[in-house]
Amino acid sequence: MKISFKKPKYIQMSSAAKIINKTEPNVPTGSWIKCTYCGQVIYKEDFNNNLFICHNCEKHYRMSAPDRLKLVVDKDSFDNMFTNLKTVNILDFKGYDAKIKGLQEKTALDEGVLTGTATINGIKVAIAVMDSRFLMGSMGHVVGEKITLITELATDESLPLVIFTASGGARMQEGIISLMQMAKTSAALKRHHDAGGLYVTVLTDPTSGGVTASFAMLGDIILSEPGAFIGFAGPRVIRDTIKQELPEGFQKAEFLLEHGFIDSIVPRVEMKHTLHKIFGLHHFI
Amino acid sequence: MFNKILIANRGEIAVRIIRACRELGIRTVAVYSTADKEALHTLLADESVCIGPAKSSESYLDITRIISAAIITGSNAIHPGFGFLSENSKFVKICEESNIKVIGPNSEMISLMGQKAQARATMIEAGVPVIPGSDGVIKLAQEAIERSKDIGFPLIMKAANGGGGKGMRVANSVEEVTSMFNLAQKEAKACFGDDDMYMERYIVNPKHIEFQILGDEHGNVIHLGERDCSVQRRHQKMVEEAPSTALTPELREQMGAVAVKAARAIGYTNAGTVEFLLTDKNEFFFMEMNTRIQVEHPITEMITGIDIIKKQVEIAAGLELGLTQEDIKLNGHSIECRINAEDATKDFRPSPGKITNLFLPGGNGIRVDGAIYSGYTVAPYYDSMLAKLIVHGKTREEALAKMRSALGEFIIEGITTNIDFHYDILDQPSFIQGNYDTSFIEKMLGEAK
Repeated sequence: MKISFKKPKYIQMSSAAKIINKTEPNVPTGSWIKCTYCGQVIYKEDFNNNLFICHNCEKHYRMSAPDRLKLVVDKDSFDNMFTNLKTVNILDFKGYDAKIKGLQEKTALDEGVLTGTATINGIKVAIAVMDSRFLMGSMGHVVGEKITLITELATDESLPLVIFTASGGARMQEGIISLMQMAKTSAALKRHHDAGGLYVTVLTDPTSGGVTASFAMLGDIILSEPGAFIGFAGPRVIRDTIKQELPEGFQKAEFLLEHGFIDSIVPRVEMKHTLHKIFGLHHFI
Repeated sequence: MFNKILIANRGEIAVRIIRACRELGIRTVAVYSTADKEALHTLLADESVCIGPAKSSESYLDITRIISAAIITGSNAIHPGFGFLSENSKFVKICEESNIKVIGPNSEMISLMGQKAQARATMIEAGVPVIPGSDGVIKLAQEAIERSKDIGFPLIMKAANGGGGKGMRVANSVEEVTSMFNLAQKEAKACFGDDDMYMERYIVNPKHIEFQILGDEHGNVIHLGERDCSVQRRHQKMVEEAPSTALTPELREQMGAVAVKAARAIGYTNAGTVEFLLTDKNEFFFMEMNTRIQVEHPITEMITGIDIIKKQVEIAAGLELGLTQEDIKLNGHSIECRINAEDATKDFRPSPGKITNLFLPGGNGIRVDGAIYSGYTVAPYYDSMLAKLIVHGKTREEALAKMRSALGEFIIEGITTNIDFHYDILDQPSFIQGNYDTSFIEKMLGEAK
């Protein structure tokens, strides 16, 4: 049964009431975001507090290297090492210097990876965390050298090594020098392996190109975040080359797990605990 | 004054707020879930926006949807009512960021009073009496004995990190402290893995007395007298009255001043309620502060003649209170009965369904604040309150007589209500004498068994 109420006449009650507040609601730009996966509108502060994960569909968004470190290692335990390496425009690639300088200012990072030692629930580790904000986390000579140096440190000091990967691949602006980093990092890891060292990789979104084809897939244990893109060539290139449609979920972490390329998918909130467990199982204390 | 207000609530409080806005000449926007398409608040408001399915978490509690509704309707302000998002400081903060005025205190005040431990600490600092307790943790029985001298007896020893009635024991005298402490601590260690304890005076069957506070945004804070809400079943209020039979004018002045002091301590603005526990020795202690409008606000309105909802809107619009403490006079006596769709004979089980026949009581000093109409279907998704029956008489005797009469006129057919139970409450000698505390309903139900 529908009731029809009569609307009152909108009259002013007193002189004080004459000032009509007509301010329109205005949501400040950037305080709300929309999940690109499920369309859920999320309050930015909630999103940041939820480890950059959509509370509706659990999509794991990309994290900066400093944020990642805060989440994974014990408070104030990270010792930032090998910070004296300077990126040089070896091939005189046009615009490369300006690009590097701009990114250094924007991200407050020297390059696309942070390396050093830290503790994870008290266990000392050698850790490298890549940052996709720095030229898509691409590997040039500085990234390659830092990864190599931290690997060698891990070997020398018998520390477990963990590398969080996030990269578009080899850095185009440095040509063959970038490709050379694939061999250099892999060789350092081989020496680490021969010395009996433990190496755990954590693949994050996206991990591709020359990084996938070198140190990312060389872990004794390979973990990944849910939904991460992991591949070598991009899907469009593959589709055009083989002239076939790609299977559902191709190059997603879950697909790789099913096909035996990675060992486990670990939700972000469980990552620190999982790493600690692995190190404990390997008798690191 | 606002041009348009969105009411982020449902049921009778939404109707109450819409009515106040209609009288003030302010346009209203109702939000409703799919279950409330035919609800009175939806039909009464000028505009209405459907904000989701019946489930509260996807409708009335969904901040994104409420804010979206405010934006698309161009509402300048939101009244959150009580329950739902009214004490959600994050919601209020988002409104503040989005240029939407919330009719109530700001997010900081809500946050401060919402964290009970912090609220208690703030009150202690302000010199407001709180339940005497050991501020800090106790680990040894000897410490407990020492602290007990300041706290007084009876006292209760509780697990600092526990709950659910476990790891707590009452000691009635200093001789009992050691044995009770050790028992409680052992249980705490077994249940919670933690042997940190704390102690508090154990208040047996207190009266629940609350004071209505009104503060404007220019520093004026007053109280509008008290409400006695001791008639509770499992901490749910059933009958409220104002003024309280337990308060002498001196005690009222004392408690009122403390309530205002508590509100001033956090720079409180808009309407709020300071809740006290009152012992049989007339000692009173701050329990908590509710930073919103309360269900039982009408009885205060009846004895003071002040429309609290309208005052809320005016305060939020920046107007001065226009009242001093001296202006507040308490006239007569008012009682409210909460009429719920529940079956008192079956442990108060909710009884939703269609109201086939409705007759509302009327007459001099009879007020009904409800959201029901003939043919309305009460949904099972939300609380079972249908209406509030409020009476106002010159004396308490007159108010009781009016309530008895009005309850007799109140006809709701098609669903089961607690109207008959209210009759029983009003028949109890202890209620008629005005000599009851928070154990009243329990005793009443115990006798009935």
